[in-house]
Amino acid sequence: MMEKKIMDETFTVPIGPQHPALKEPSHFRITVDGEIVTNAVVRLGYAHRGIEKAVEGRNWIQNLYMLERICGICSHIHATAYCLGVEQLAGVEVPPRAQAIRVLTAELERIHSHFLWVGVAAHEAGFDTLFMYIWRDRETVMDLLETLSGNRVNYSVNILGGVKFDINEEQADAIRKGLDYLEERTNHYLDVVSNDAMFLQRTSGIGVMTRNQAEVLGTVGPTARASNVARDVRVEAPYGAYFDYPANIVLEERGDLTARFVVRIKELFESYRLIRLILDTLPSGDLETRMPRRIKEGETVCRVEAPRGELFYFIKSNGTDMPERIKIRTPTICNMTSVVKLVIGHQLADVPMILVGIDPCFSCNDRMVILDRSDGYKQQWTWEALRQHGIDYYHEQHS
Amino acid sequence: MNTQEALKIASLLVEEWVWTTETERPEPNRLDVKLTKLDDFIPIVVGLRVQRLGYLSAITGLDLGPEVGELEVLYHFCTAAAVVTLRLRVPRDNPSVPSLCSIIPSAEPFERELREMFGVDVDKHPNPIHIYLPDDWPVDTYPLRKDFEQGTVSTAVRRGVKHDGKENNG
Amino acid sequence: MTQNLLQDTIQRLKTWARINSPWVLHFNSGSCNGCDIEILATLTPRYDLERFGIKLMGSPRHADVLLCTGAVTRQARDRLVRIYEQMHDPKFVVAIGACALSGGVFRGCYNVMDGIDQVIPVHAYIPGCPPRPEAIIDGVVKLLSSLSIPTAKVETQPSTDGRIETKECSL
Repeated sequence: MMEKKIMDETFTVPIGPQHPALKEPSHFRITVDGEIVTNAVVRLGYAHRGIEKAVEGRNWIQNLYMLERICGICSHIHATAYCLGVEQLAGVEVPPRAQAIRVLTAELERIHSHFLWVGVAAHEAGFDTLFMYIWRDRETVMDLLETLSGNRVNYSVNILGGVKFDINEEQADAIRKGLDYLEERTNHYLDVVSNDAMFLQRTSGIGVMTRNQAEVLGTVGPTARASNVARDVRVEAPYGAYFDYPANIVLEERGDLTARFVVRIKELFESYRLIRLILDTLPSGDLETRMPRRIKEGETVCRVEAPRGELFYFIKSNGTDMPERIKIRTPTICNMTSVVKLVIGHQLADVPMILVGIDPCFSCNDRMVILDRSDGYKQQWTWEALRQHGIDYYHEQHS
Repeated sequence: MNTQEALKIASLLVEEWVWTTETERPEPNRLDVKLTKLDDFIPIVVGLRVQRLGYLSAITGLDLGPEVGELEVLYHFCTAAAVVTLRLRVPRDNPSVPSLCSIIPSAEPFERELREMFGVDVDKHPNPIHIYLPDDWPVDTYPLRKDFEQGTVSTAVRRGVKHDGKENNG
Repeated sequence: MTQNLLQDTIQRLKTWARINSPWVLHFNSGSCNGCDIEILATLTPRYDLERFGIKLMGSPRHADVLLCTGAVTRQARDRLVRIYEQMHDPKFVVAIGACALSGGVFRGCYNVMDGIDQVIPVHAYIPGCPPRPEAIIDGVVKLLSSLSIPTAKVETQPSTDGRIETKECSL
């Protein structure tokens, strides 16, 4: 019924900004001609809290807690990037056992993040059964993180110069057991996303990004790797314990949404392998070294691979106990450009799926869509309604 | 391309194309290029792009403080572990840098951020609107400059909180 | 007398219905996502908030309870007020997480409002960074049980056209 009303007009559909799911809840102005998207503009900043300014007024140790709270999903990797940078500036060597525990936690975090994403993306596609199954299994990895650190979300594993806790044999066994279960389930999910006919209708051939496009648009992380761009900081610029435990890069060629699902699920297997390897060969030794209170004057660049892609930190110290400047570039902003370019030419119904495809730090999904017509007619759509529109649209198409 | 090759190509490029620069190697994987002339900037970016070193990882703004009277803009290009940084210095009052959007589309959000956080005008930017800050943010107030004081803007706005019930789609 | 009895019965029925199927809306006013994924986790099979009849809605017009996270950024503030105004009376607000309570680590930053209650009235506070799903369930159930106390007053006042308007002031 929507199609009839708007057949011969061009509209601007503002989506957002109420988007609880994004780390950077964003606002899109999507121009549509009928059902086809002709232009899109993004506006971010609904979760802009001014962290980069706030860190200049806190000391190095306080900032660790601040930066861990940039993102609740990838909290550990933010703290890791910061610690690696500060340790580099101070010229402190972190013991190998601490490095290994950092990487182990980072890989557990990647598992939880990818599970979360596959679940939410399945929900957007209208496949709620998969969403519930995946989130049930995700609790396994949350339990593991809790046994290790005592927290489900902000683990506070890192301290400057090392890590806070050790792993004993009992915990290692719990992790191995949990991974066995998850691996079995992951095989099943890989089968579902690559073979389920209904699901493929929503993902196959949608949001295709060629290798060249992905490079030019500066995409990072799994979004780039789904388009066969070999961009993985763990592989091309190893940091921490990735020198001793090298990661393998996972690439897909098709560049559509299916490829993005497959890349992320295959990365889970890589994470399982790394964690098992670390547990079997965990180096012995100290957990931390002494850090100076004041950090030597200087600048450093620190890049790490967050679950969503390359995370970039630029840290400048002026020799006091507070940083002069910390610049943080998160992976979502790189990938956001690709969404704006990719949605053009697609159905409005595919917009939620393409946006989810880059994994824009999704955690939940309800957001407003307001349809604004030149004659003053206004209709409010929830994100839920747009999602439903997508589902109904595909039902009609294929019935 | 590995890290050492990338650094070698980048330093050759800088030496050949631009004469008035200083290069520095602060860390083994980093090459810092200080550009003294703004005109050299675009050609060198094109050069990096042609040599397939053109993945712009981030743009960092630095305020060197009111006493120096200059801002510094850093463009970080990453290839493997190599980080090539182009450093531009602009005056603190009326700063301006050319836009990279026509060469590197992904620079758009970074330049918008630079613009609103430091007040650096980006010449020929296709879409010079706010990205992070609200639309009613006071003009000529740039939060990441050193003379911006935490709390000044927030309290002023809070006192004036008034919801007029009007629809606004922004 | 009869009218009062009728109204009382209707009120009891309404409260009963409300307690047994509160629909919630979730709004992120600029939080780090930590609280949001925990809210989502409470809805999924392990914690299963739906056994209390609680359902997550997409639209404020369908919701009774607003689950709110984050320290309220300047940009999200107008949105939050608008969403609150779009919800039907009676409406309840639950602030979830340290940031929503007081601003948390972001207190004093130039773009945040230091907590939900600076902007809209809050009925229940759930502390934690982030609160565990059990804590969220506990908070919501406490809010519901406070509704069941028969203090839900009914104020009646005749309006100009003779109809009787009811105004509930529970909580």
